[in-house]
Amino acid sequence: MKSSHPQVDTTGKSEAVKVRADTESPTVLIVDDDPVARLAMVGRIKRLGYRVLQAGDGKTGLELLRRERPELTILDWMMPDLDGPSFCEQVRDDPEVGSSQILMMTSNDHPEHIAEGLARGADDFLSKAASRQEIIARVQAGIRTALLIRQLERVTDELRSKQALLDEELQSAARYVESLLPMPGIVLPGVELAHLYRPSLALGGDLYNVVRCGDDAVGLYLLDASGHGVSSALRSAALATFLREDSLLRYVGSRDPGAIVTEANRLFPLTERGDYFTILVARLDLRFQRVLYATAGHSGACIHRRGGTMEWFAPPSLPLGFAPGQLYRTVEIGFLPGDRLYVMSDGLYEVPNSTGELWGKERLGFALKEAAGRPLQDALSHAVAEAARWSGQNCFPDDVAVMGIELKA
Amino acid sequence: MSMQVKERSMPNGVILELTGDLTYANREQFKTAVESVRQRGFRHLVLDMSNVRFIDSSGLGLLALVAQQFKLTQGRLSLLKPQAYVREIMALANIPSLIPMYENEQDAAAAHAKAA
Repeated sequence: MKSSHPQVDTTGKSEAVKVRADTESPTVLIVDDDPVARLAMVGRIKRLGYRVLQAGDGKTGLELLRRERPELTILDWMMPDLDGPSFCEQVRDDPEVGSSQILMMTSNDHPEHIAEGLARGADDFLSKAASRQEIIARVQAGIRTALLIRQLERVTDELRSKQALLDEELQSAARYVESLLPMPGIVLPGVELAHLYRPSLALGGDLYNVVRCGDDAVGLYLLDASGHGVSSALRSAALATFLREDSLLRYVGSRDPGAIVTEANRLFPLTERGDYFTILVARLDLRFQRVLYATAGHSGACIHRRGGTMEWFAPPSLPLGFAPGQLYRTVEIGFLPGDRLYVMSDGLYEVPNSTGELWGKERLGFALKEAAGRPLQDALSHAVAEAARWSGQNCFPDDVAVMGIELKA
Repeated sequence: MSMQVKERSMPNGVILELTGDLTYANREQFKTAVESVRQRGFRHLVLDMSNVRFIDSSGLGLLALVAQQFKLTQGRLSLLKPQAYVREIMALANIPSLIPMYENEQDAAAAHAKAA
């Protein structure tokens, strides 16, 4: 080991070998069974300033190549036992040394002969009758290529290990986001919650939650950050923190959905990149059998009535941050035993098929109606499966989040 | 799908003719074009939307951002002739309440002159 230069090594190649290329003169391995020719070549290459290794047969040469990883190997074609082309084949078959540069020497420079050597793994040829200048030029060209390949391999290794680190970070963040999601099941006696989340990347920008407030009310929200990935997820987590019960009481001083969304609009302006949220905040009031809600640019919510009709929440409203000082109003809608409330991100219904046509709310509503007699969680799974079938793909282009709340009849 | 931006002048302002999709993928290009108009001190920017086929959520955010930036400097952003589909998406996000839309550039210029 020559260097203490820290390097991440994911391929198992020894660190010393990789660092040496930067710090020492390149190494040339000469493999030739003819001692006179070999010594002559050794002398020439040494005079060029390179470190030289030599072997008198193919087998020893291969061992040296695997151990020392020379930048360039000058190889005689004709050798007993392991000849030049077979040597090349063995090198190319070995992933550890497969990118080694090999310059093959031959006294036969027929085009078919050269083609065969190249096909079997040599990088270049050197005629035994080559001039001194030609030998120097070909050796230098070989070394140049070897150094470039080494550099490329090193950078690729670094990128891979950095990517692996990033992937792990993303997975860990995704687990955290999932831990923020509510527990499905009975939220209050007679009120059942189900939900389904399919982020488009490891980390999604959609978040939702359902919180019991006392004995006869449930608060809920679904937010959708524009964009994808890490920055969206971070912004979502910040907004989710604001939407926690204790924070709402402190900053808004009210559980009124309109007041909450109005304050969120003040606190979360457009980012300098034009990123923003759409959100729906609702309060399920069991005593008066109603849902109070306010939305900022979020139109993905509907009530599937016990009688079979589908009512969409659709007042157009500005997303958060579009208009500072905007007042968001609370809207009231009846919610009776046997009704199901669905709140979803637009990623569920704005799914394109192969021709670009979007699935749309109408088809989504139809899918939810189809599953009317089935348990709530099955209804969500059915809708998501139908959306996936429409897209013809297994993954969605945007985050998909949907939750359902049923008031038991 | 990429986006092309062509600039032409109008009385007291600039028109950017957008062709293609106003989406996340094209946001840098869009922002650069708008920034160049702003830096030259123009108070009225008209986005000609007649050749924009699609707008996504990022595109809506960019429109809102540019509208806010122009408003801050007593300027104005107007939209010209959005296609039906784009118009529909903008309506869902209530963009018309934020950014005026016109069917021809004379109306856009006249409304700006009146406001100024």
